[in-house]
Amino acid sequence: MERQFTKEIESLRLAEGATFHGEGILAVTKALLQSGVSYVGGYQGAPVSHLLDVMVQARDYLDELGVHVEACTNEASAAAMLGASINYPVRGAVTWKSIVGTNVAADALSYLASAGVMGGTLIVLGEDYGEGGVVAQERSHAYALKSLMWLLDPRPNLPKIVELVERGFELSEASNTPVMMELRIRACHVRGSFSAKANRAPAISKRERLPGPPAEFVYDRLAHPPATFRQEKLKSDVRLPAARKFIAEHRLNEVFPGAEGELGIIVQGGLYNTLILALRTLGLADPFGASRIPILALNVVYPLVPEEITQFCASKRAVVVLEEGQPEFIEQEIATLLRRADVQAKLHGKDVMHMAGEYTAEAMVRGLAKFLGEHAAHLDMASGAQWIEAVGGTKRKAAELLGALPVRPPTFCIGCPERPVFSAMKLVAQDIGRPHVSMDVGCHAFASFEPFSQGNTLLGYGMSLAAAAGVAPLQARRPVAVMGDGGFWHNGLLSGVASNLLNKGDGVLIVMKNGYASATGTQELLSTPPEETRKQAVGASAVHADRSIERALAGLGVKWLRTVNNYRVSEMAKAYREAMTTDEKGLKVIVAEGECQLERQRRLRPQVAQKLKRGERYVRVKYGVDEDSCTGDHSCIRLSGCPTLTVKDNPDPLRTDPVATVIDGCVGCGLCGENAHAAVLCPSFYRAEVINNANLWDRLWAKL
Amino acid sequence: MSLPERPITILIAALGGEGGGVMADWLMEAATAVDLPAQATSIPGVAQRTGATTYYLEIYPVRKSELGGREPVLSLTPSPGNVDIMVASELVEAGRAMANGYVSPERTTLIASTHRIYATVEKMQMADGRYEADKVVAAARELAKLTVLFDMRKLAEESGTIINAVLFGAMAGSGALPLARERCEDAIRKGGRGAEASLRGFAAGYDIARGSRKPPEQPAAPKRATELADIMRLADERLRDYQGKRYAELYRRRMEPFVRGDARVAATVARHLATWMSYEDIIRVADLKTRASRFERVRREVGAKGDEPVVVIDYLKPGIEEFASVMPAPLGRRLVAWAERRGKLDAYNIGMHIKTSGLFGYALVRSLAWLRPLRPSSYRYAEEQGLIERWLGYVAEAAKRDAGLAYEIADCARLIKGYGETHRRGKGNFLAIADALIENPPTAEAGEQASAIRKAREAALADPEGKALGTTLGKPVVWMKPVKSS
Repeated sequence: MERQFTKEIESLRLAEGATFHGEGILAVTKALLQSGVSYVGGYQGAPVSHLLDVMVQARDYLDELGVHVEACTNEASAAAMLGASINYPVRGAVTWKSIVGTNVAADALSYLASAGVMGGTLIVLGEDYGEGGVVAQERSHAYALKSLMWLLDPRPNLPKIVELVERGFELSEASNTPVMMELRIRACHVRGSFSAKANRAPAISKRERLPGPPAEFVYDRLAHPPATFRQEKLKSDVRLPAARKFIAEHRLNEVFPGAEGELGIIVQGGLYNTLILALRTLGLADPFGASRIPILALNVVYPLVPEEITQFCASKRAVVVLEEGQPEFIEQEIATLLRRADVQAKLHGKDVMHMAGEYTAEAMVRGLAKFLGEHAAHLDMASGAQWIEAVGGTKRKAAELLGALPVRPPTFCIGCPERPVFSAMKLVAQDIGRPHVSMDVGCHAFASFEPFSQGNTLLGYGMSLAAAAGVAPLQARRPVAVMGDGGFWHNGLLSGVASNLLNKGDGVLIVMKNGYASATGTQELLSTPPEETRKQAVGASAVHADRSIERALAGLGVKWLRTVNNYRVSEMAKAYREAMTTDEKGLKVIVAEGECQLERQRRLRPQVAQKLKRGERYVRVKYGVDEDSCTGDHSCIRLSGCPTLTVKDNPDPLRTDPVATVIDGCVGCGLCGENAHAAVLCPSFYRAEVINNANLWDRLWAKL
Repeated sequence: MSLPERPITILIAALGGEGGGVMADWLMEAATAVDLPAQATSIPGVAQRTGATTYYLEIYPVRKSELGGREPVLSLTPSPGNVDIMVASELVEAGRAMANGYVSPERTTLIASTHRIYATVEKMQMADGRYEADKVVAAARELAKLTVLFDMRKLAEESGTIINAVLFGAMAGSGALPLARERCEDAIRKGGRGAEASLRGFAAGYDIARGSRKPPEQPAAPKRATELADIMRLADERLRDYQGKRYAELYRRRMEPFVRGDARVAATVARHLATWMSYEDIIRVADLKTRASRFERVRREVGAKGDEPVVVIDYLKPGIEEFASVMPAPLGRRLVAWAERRGKLDAYNIGMHIKTSGLFGYALVRSLAWLRPLRPSSYRYAEEQGLIERWLGYVAEAAKRDAGLAYEIADCARLIKGYGETHRRGKGNFLAIADALIENPPTAEAGEQASAIRKAREAALADPEGKALGTTLGKPVVWMKPVKSS
């Protein structure tokens, strides 16, 4: 795993009254233990990876408590895990990145929500919406509405988040309904503190096991007809009122009073801090959140409590709903509630704010200025107008002075084993033409950026091969699907490979066998090489030691199957060209083998440091470019994009274009040399082996 | 007491692996140690790999004990016009911060390193795609309230640490941080690992921001020959070294029609002619690779210390073109023509890893350099000189009409560079422009023709795969080789 959570694991053990300092998502982790969970599961993905990663690393401590932790292979298996709470009074929590993870989990969630739960169940969603989001932009809210599951959106403040986790379990139990908690990216990574409580060892656990299944067979716990018809009624007749009662009684939503009693703002809890900044900018709030306009912060965004809404709006002329994303589910519900209760406050929301995308402070200042301009002309908001004008002026001035800046999207790491595969693909495309490339989710999606700029579709994690199923029969040229080993085990093996084989499809699949779910923090997979082999391999690739991907493919019936070392660009190009041009029908799979360079370097670095410290011989490899034979055409860069292969001023006074150069940080993966060979690029590349602590033989040899 | 209206806000723009997260930790630690309310957020995930990423902090500059239980509501997201300290670990990232409105003249102290880490789009162009970084420095002086700009990467290297320590020091030294130097240093110490080196970097950054220490010297701008006399002198040296005195004289003769003409045209022709005439064939490359100065340079570039042995392995892959290039012209021509007909130009390349630092490898490569006397009768020589004459003819012809047009044509020589496929492609682009815009120009007006040539040349350089050039020329430039039936 990419990160060691030694310190964080310590803070999970904090006793009653101690102060926890740390990230939002780790505060949630601690809160789960304080709530006495019996089991935790999930699938990694920013921004919630740390929850599961830290739990996996804290296994010893969790064993002490009797808590079971499962790193599931996808969100569907994580969601299904919550089934344990249908029949037994045990609390469970799972986590994943949303919207994508919730989509994958949706089937199990529907059944879970129908059957209802006995033990509290909490689903922690990393709401990847807006800035920094790396998946399709959609809200998780729709799932809450259609399944009648409750959705928490706490104010991004550690004590509040922790409180909502604890209350969330109680709410779940009080209403027999699974509860989701959405945490935006920055809320997951916000660093703050809260006063800890003691962890509760669960009453039913790995240490205190149940004797067996429930004594009686209860059909109504199965989400199966005819029980489902009764369950569907239960949701709205019993569970929903119970939830509303609990939310109101425990004041999960917060009202912040203000002097302008005739106006009001209803805001999703997660946006509260941004709202205060916007109000401060308009001169309507102080740094401590005291606002002139009353605020209703919804820490529970579904269900709403009708009485809370009507009470807040009753004596007001106008309210505005600040709800990020589309459609405006909350605003519509509030409109219905107000209309039914005949509350006359004028309702604003998406009419003053934009429909799609994030609500930044700038957007809120503009929206609130519109709302208040219409309903509170007496308020002085000059500071807000000045601010907006100043920001516009600065941006214009900067654009004028700077022109267009070069973009800097993320790219493959130095020495990444996936880069050579794309070099080979680019080379072959020059000969046989560009194919339709079906992309997948994972590090390899960086190939959509320069210098590779390829990919025609991206349909989700593990979906690349499935997404080419309709393309292959309609195109003269064979399409190619690229998939990581993460995606392969998550979904690709069944949705892609099995479906292709069943339908006797044609096409090419490249599986990046780097050994881990690398993009999310190098979590382990079914095909991660054994610990022992990794130790022995040190800085070399160890992934050849596990053949479960190849065995799975052969077992399903893939006939054309090649495993190729990624860094041998010529061999990769040869295999790829053959796969793309052979007359052989059926699925052709290239397993591109090369261990994630992050993991290799992590093992290597301490060993090298020790060797050097002990004065032992060590050969350091670095690649370089001869500046006098480099003509500055940069074709090597167009085939690589490695961060350490860059340009510098041309030392030749007769030339102006910069020459290529290899800077510090090169890990000596060898791609430069391989590319120079495979593409017949140029003779300027050299490999230098610097011998640290050389022995007599080295020195003698060097003299020759 | 009256409390401050707002917290101190700090936005850190860093690239993956520069320790931005550690810096945020130091700031949180230092603020928490003196009881100031503080909050930090970030957007990690894949952006942290190698792309641009940011960390954002807010510190309320009054101790919690003096707030009577009240807690400031701190923002999780930076907003334009609301940043007190903008930190950028690289110059273009500082530019990006300004473009996004995070640097305002009323409020922002901008602390940035002036070194460049080039983005892929800047590096991959055929010519020079680098962003003009001076613009960022100029904009910073205009848009920030206060700037601390120097090469912090260099300083970090000198201090044996990474850039975050220097940035932190500069931040503390700028006076914009509500934290005393000692508190910051305590936070670094508490961080443990590498604290000594970080403290050195911190102190250096602090002193420079304070003005009590000079920032590191900027490396001198590269020497460029721009005056005709300088260029011709360098060309003379270069071509004597390349092929001898008579070859250098050929250069002078070729320059004669231009030296008294338009100065810009003359300088451009002189420069390109010198590099074109010293084209990189196998003999030249072998010569350059076996010079003593080259091995010295490699040692320097890979950072070999003292007497550490360095083994140098060269990647050569000569093929039909390379062999033909040193063959007598008629023979070489026939070989290349045969290979082209069969689509076998790249089919027989021999990949070699030659240990040039070893006795055998050195002798092998050096022996190729000894073929120099045969060069004038070689196939490649005949080809290159033919094309050079053609190009010079175009320029001379155009010079009679319009100096601007002559200049644009002269600069098209820039297209021909590289080796193997890249070289063929560059040459093809040159010929495509020559055909469409020089020999068969769509317009008789010199200014229009010149501008069309410039556009086509720029398109070919920006996008060597030829799509943009095709669009500019109004017809596709197809570089895909014919599909071989297998």
